[in-house]
Amino acid sequence: MKIIETKGLTKDYGGGRGVFGLDFEVNEGEVMGFLGPNGAGKTTTIRQLMGFIQPNAGSATVFGLPCFEQAAQIQKDLGYLPGEPAFMNDMTGTAFLHFLAQMKGLKSFARAQQLMQQFELDATAKIGRMSKGTKQKVGIVAAFMASPRLLVLDEPTSGLDPLMQNRFIELILQEKQRGATILMSSHIFEEVERTCDRTVIIRAGHIVAVEQMEELRRTKRKTFATQFAAPADAAAFAAAWGREKATVNGDTVKLTVTGSPDAFLKQVAAYPVKDLELHRESLEELFLHYYGAENGGQKA
Amino acid sequence: MINKTLFLRESKAGLRLLLIFFAVLTMYATMIIAMFDPKLGDSLAQMAQSMPTLFAAFGMLNVGATLGEFMGNYLYGFLLTVMPLIFIAMLANRLVVRYVESGSMAYLLATPNRRGRLVRTQALVLLTGTLLLLLLNLLVCIVTAQAISPGQLDIPAFLRLNVGLYGLHVFLGGLCFFAACLFNDSRTSLGVGAGLGVLFLLVQMLSQVGDKFEVLKYATPYTLFTPIGLLEGRGSAVAGMLCLYAVGAALYAVAVAVFCKRDLPV
Repeated sequence: MKIIETKGLTKDYGGGRGVFGLDFEVNEGEVMGFLGPNGAGKTTTIRQLMGFIQPNAGSATVFGLPCFEQAAQIQKDLGYLPGEPAFMNDMTGTAFLHFLAQMKGLKSFARAQQLMQQFELDATAKIGRMSKGTKQKVGIVAAFMASPRLLVLDEPTSGLDPLMQNRFIELILQEKQRGATILMSSHIFEEVERTCDRTVIIRAGHIVAVEQMEELRRTKRKTFATQFAAPADAAAFAAAWGREKATVNGDTVKLTVTGSPDAFLKQVAAYPVKDLELHRESLEELFLHYYGAENGGQKA
Repeated sequence: MINKTLFLRESKAGLRLLLIFFAVLTMYATMIIAMFDPKLGDSLAQMAQSMPTLFAAFGMLNVGATLGEFMGNYLYGFLLTVMPLIFIAMLANRLVVRYVESGSMAYLLATPNRRGRLVRTQALVLLTGTLLLLLLNLLVCIVTAQAISPGQLDIPAFLRLNVGLYGLHVFLGGLCFFAACLFNDSRTSLGVGAGLGVLFLLVQMLSQVGDKFEVLKYATPYTLFTPIGLLEGRGSAVAGMLCLYAVGAALYAVAVAVFCKRDLPV
């Protein structure tokens, strides 16, 4: 069953801003990443799925229902985390969550309490006085507390510290076990990589690819900066890999590896190594090599 | 038709604002009622004669022979039109456009409630909030009047005047609510909603100062609210009142329809 389906979905804000002719679908039980640089149109797409804005052309359906017209019906089984959660600042976090639970017609608050524990959230303060990270946690509890069939999450880990980011990834994996369908936007490759089955990649309002995660992982490049004990070792190592792949700077060699780092590790192990650093590829760099110069030449 | 949870939350959130305005209105109302004194009336009339234009602008040229007329001119002619307008503009702003501006409207929309139901709830909060403020004021006026000048106030006529006042504020509320539903930011919404309300008031004040500007009375809906006419039960005053109710209701209806159809940048 297709939980989300868009056909030629277009929202034109003028000046090249907006989304244009999006076609993608998310199947039941699937965790779909929604990856793209800032300003690519992720939030615009999500707003259309949520029924906040109407498309200029094309269509978007959730559970087979048109998103704008049937928004209230769709919301019965949807959990939403906005990109920049804004709440009623005059309420405490707890009061707001109870209010929202009532608005959603939720019978039990047990799951919300469980989530608050999981994220070490003390929601007794007024929301207006909360830090960005704490607000984000309130948003996460609000989105997940009804255990909905579909979760739409816009940049869910922004504002969270690394520990909580990991908790969040655990939560996604739990929800996936439960059978929830998830659409999760991000501009950080790693969080999508660790949770998603497939990912839609969007850039300047257009879909550039809908890929299996495995495929992306295979083509993703890593750069290792290895500091050798002696500059001579560095030169020898670099020469073995070839000048076009490895660059030498004194005792340090930067080497870019696609796919498995196995060959690199085995070879570098033969030398005394002072330090080793891994530079993960940014999203822009990923686009640059993945889609070649015709797409990637211009900076997003 | 409406959402009870949201209604209760908004009523609670708006209570403080209401109490502040109630306190201010109580202060003015008791002060003005205490001023009523047939003898003081003479000196007020003299003062009015010395600055006829200014007094006319505020609708205070005629002191009024009875306590009801005195209140109609001095309280209902200006203070009770402008103070509740500020309350209404602020509340309407909080109920709709502020949520859109801050983005928290997303949370209301992300519940299984149709937009119409959400926005009708907010409209009802505004209508009941205004009603409560005016009812409390009515109570204060009657109690004060009876305490200071027992038996001098014609209660049925005074009630008619207050029904008319609510009509004016249903209209002004409709205007502010419409602006709050139409725009994405508080500044524009307040500027248009409250701005038009104040502009109409200024036009009315100008229309009262002399024959030269009298024609301006056709350019402001405040003309439809005539305190003395309502006290006397004149047909034209009642018709004006019904007109305000009708246009106000229509503005609320259009506001709801606009909010249901439009894109919300949340």
